[in-house]
Amino acid sequence: MPISCKTECGRNAVLKRPKTGDALCKECFYSAFESEIHYTIIKGELFNRGDSVAVAASGGKDSTVLAHILKTLNERYDYGLNLMLLSIDEGITGYRDDSLETVKQNRDDYKMPLKILSYKELYGWTMDEIVAQIGRKNNCTFCGVFRRQALDRGAAMLGVKCIATGHNADDIAETVLMNVLRGDIARLKRCTAIVTGSEGTIPRVKPLKYTYEKEIVMYAHYKKLVYFSTECVFAPNAYRGHARALLKDMEKIRPACIMDIIYSGETMTIKDEVSLPAQRVCVRCNFVSSQEVCKACVLLEGLNKGLPKLGIGKSSKAKKMLDEYNLKQTESSGLKEAISDLNDTVSSCIAKAKTCKSGLCSEENNVNKNGSINKNVNKCNSNKCCIGQCISKENSQIQKSISNSKVNSLLQQYGLDDTSTDNEQLKLVTNPHENGHEDVLENSDDEQSHLDEDNTCSASCGRMGSLQIGF
Amino acid sequence: MSKCKKCEAPGTIVLRKKDLYCDSCFLNNINHKFRSVIGKNKILSKNENILLCLSGGTASTTLMDMVHYGISLDSHKKLRVNPYALHIIGPGNEDNVQVANSVIKSCKHYGFDLYIIHIAEYVHDCTSLIKNVNAMPETDSISSNTFNEILNGMPPTAQNDFILKVKQNLYVKCAKELSCKFIFTAETTTTLAINLLSNLTVGRGSQVQNDIGFCDKRDKEVTILRPMKEISKEELNQYISIKKIMPVHNCNMLDNSLQSVISTFVTDLQENFQSTVSSVCKTADKIGVHDDSKYDSRCVLCKNVFNNSGSKISALEATVYSRLVSSKKREDNNEFHDNSLIEQTSLSMFPYINKNLCYGCSRIYSEMTLCDLPDVVKVHLQMSDKSK
Ligand SMILES: [Zn+2]
Ligand SMILES: [Zn+2]
Ligand SMILES: [Zn+2]
Repeated sequence: MPISCKTECGRNAVLKRPKTGDALCKECFYSAFESEIHYTIIKGELFNRGDSVAVAASGGKDSTVLAHILKTLNERYDYGLNLMLLSIDEGITGYRDDSLETVKQNRDDYKMPLKILSYKELYGWTMDEIVAQIGRKNNCTFCGVFRRQALDRGAAMLGVKCIATGHNADDIAETVLMNVLRGDIARLKRCTAIVTGSEGTIPRVKPLKYTYEKEIVMYAHYKKLVYFSTECVFAPNAYRGHARALLKDMEKIRPACIMDIIYSGETMTIKDEVSLPAQRVCVRCNFVSSQEVCKACVLLEGLNKGLPKLGIGKSSKAKKMLDEYNLKQTESSGLKEAISDLNDTVSSCIAKAKTCKSGLCSEENNVNKNGSINKNVNKCNSNKCCIGQCISKENSQIQKSISNSKVNSLLQQYGLDDTSTDNEQLKLVTNPHENGHEDVLENSDDEQSHLDEDNTCSASCGRMGSLQIGF
Repeated sequence: MSKCKKCEAPGTIVLRKKDLYCDSCFLNNINHKFRSVIGKNKILSKNENILLCLSGGTASTTLMDMVHYGISLDSHKKLRVNPYALHIIGPGNEDNVQVANSVIKSCKHYGFDLYIIHIAEYVHDCTSLIKNVNAMPETDSISSNTFNEILNGMPPTAQNDFILKVKQNLYVKCAKELSCKFIFTAETTTTLAINLLSNLTVGRGSQVQNDIGFCDKRDKEVTILRPMKEISKEELNQYISIKKIMPVHNCNMLDNSLQSVISTFVTDLQENFQSTVSSVCKTADKIGVHDDSKYDSRCVLCKNVFNNSGSKISALEATVYSRLVSSKKREDNNEFHDNSLIEQTSLSMFPYINKNLCYGCSRIYSEMTLCDLPDVVKVHLQMSDKSK
């Protein structure tokens, strides 16, 4: 017995909306889904007419749906926006090529200009080269820190007014919980903002802030949007892992809890006497930083000087290392000249870098917390980060089938039209691109941490794991 | 045998899987935590009347023991308060009498005067609650039934939340009747971590300080204090086994609710990552409330002030809009549904919001089965309507 669409449009419902529980036909689902995002954009005053907007594109489901929706709404409601895609190429052989292909597909499908920025051009190093230099132990730190800034730099190059990122409601709710778990009050305060970015930086906006992940997957599925998805075999950082597991369990009981958590974050006030780290601009690269010299510049200096561990641990440790290094340099002046060349853009910052107030950046601390938590809960071996693993074809095959089964189970749970669901399932098996649930992993860390240089692996491991651009 | 961390005596108690204490150092330490929370907040003046809220469970029985110990000290260490005890019966019927009797027994043991009321008394707004001391109150089956009907008309998550709010109202009311300016409740670190996450999850992020902090000043005359906030569930269990306290086990939390999921989650954390649980509570300490004093209008159910996100769009508007677009077909050239329709949807989804009820309570209210509504909450809603 077919159920008729809740809106009384006369058609039969094909799905139950995960967000509201209403039974809708495909057309009405599209309409509701798109209309909500339009409402968010207009009410939240995310854009101004004539703005150039960079859509942070990873090739994953969130950014693909975001690009599709922004194009659709821009035409339908005549926003007058100049949309473009911005992708970051970390330089990871054999992996990044695939997702960039997807982004290029987006470019052709949506007729948007695409800018791909590589770590190589921005920093002079590819991730492959960084891994060769530092081994697999701390590469998450590098990749996460560099990626955050790469987006800002890319946006500056493109001359856009803002960057639109694909954070969805689940990501944000999860981030609220995660920040409570790790006691990170500064990020707790800003993680629910729909527009972020301090003065002098290019703001980031989240048009999908109130959109449920499940609905993004279903929308992409029914609209047959092409996206790339590889979920890392390793878990994200421990706190995010805990938060995600908790949120999933709670969503089963009361789907509205995602919105309620976001509301909590939006209405929460932080006590006046709590001092939040001031945000400023890095004296060296002019991008946003919580310290005088940003983490990216510190890490880069370390790489360039052959001291890759610089910046991974405490700032004080870094200073000591640098002092020792400089002492050696005075003994061999030939090398010194060569280095000072390299240092043209990156000089003398380390000495000025302040010690971390939050205590978060203590290396031992991090290893201890994450290492032990991972061991117990996530089976993630923090020493073996994800680079080599995710590239392996076998793993991504496995992941694809897992993701497919996720879409299928979503459809079983929320799809109402049996016959069409069967067909979709068949199609899914043959279409490796249509996967569920992937870039939540790296997705949301980026937003709260791009202003926070104190973090090491705990903020970026997840994203590194899935090896996607962190939007 | 290994030695106690603090003295040379053999250690008898292991905390956090690593710290070894002897019984007496352990007890000292716990009592110290209790006293220092009260002391450092410098809120109690001498010989203040305080109301101890006793559920009969581990935490509140321990609270009573510690207060008793405190007032029995001589010297400058004496805890100078005049304690009264309150026990609220219900909801539900099983074991209630047994629990109440055991609370009576322990109050007798400590020499505290105990007042017992039924939670269903909440239904009558104006009567005085306190009747006689150290005895079971009569059961008023009519109000009991009304109250249970209201509860049963709600999903478990809303019930858990509602019960907390009702109890808090009753605590304050009884305290006023007994001329107590202060109430002691017995939430441990563990409970507070659960309550914090629960608060966030039901949209009560702005109320965290009142619900989780040491000091809840929602009421102008009566302040609720949580002196056990630094003590963990693990420490509590050690305490009662040393002191041979036998609490009646009572867990009123309903399964299949957000709170029960969170409780399981926090218990797991507690087991494996102690520091995370206390960092959750430290987070709570940094979350504030909107400046209460400026506001006169408060939620009739939870007594918190209303607030809004201060941003152009919040999850509230987004939720309302979501309901609207998935229940009505959009007119072709309308950019949005018109405002009156949005307004209408808002009122049906979030009844009384920001007029009589806060976001969280409005959600509860919207989840009550409507036919059961009239009495309890409506009485309160109408009252506040009139007072405007
Ligand atoms: Zn329809
Ligand atoms: Zn910099
Ligand atoms: Zn309320």
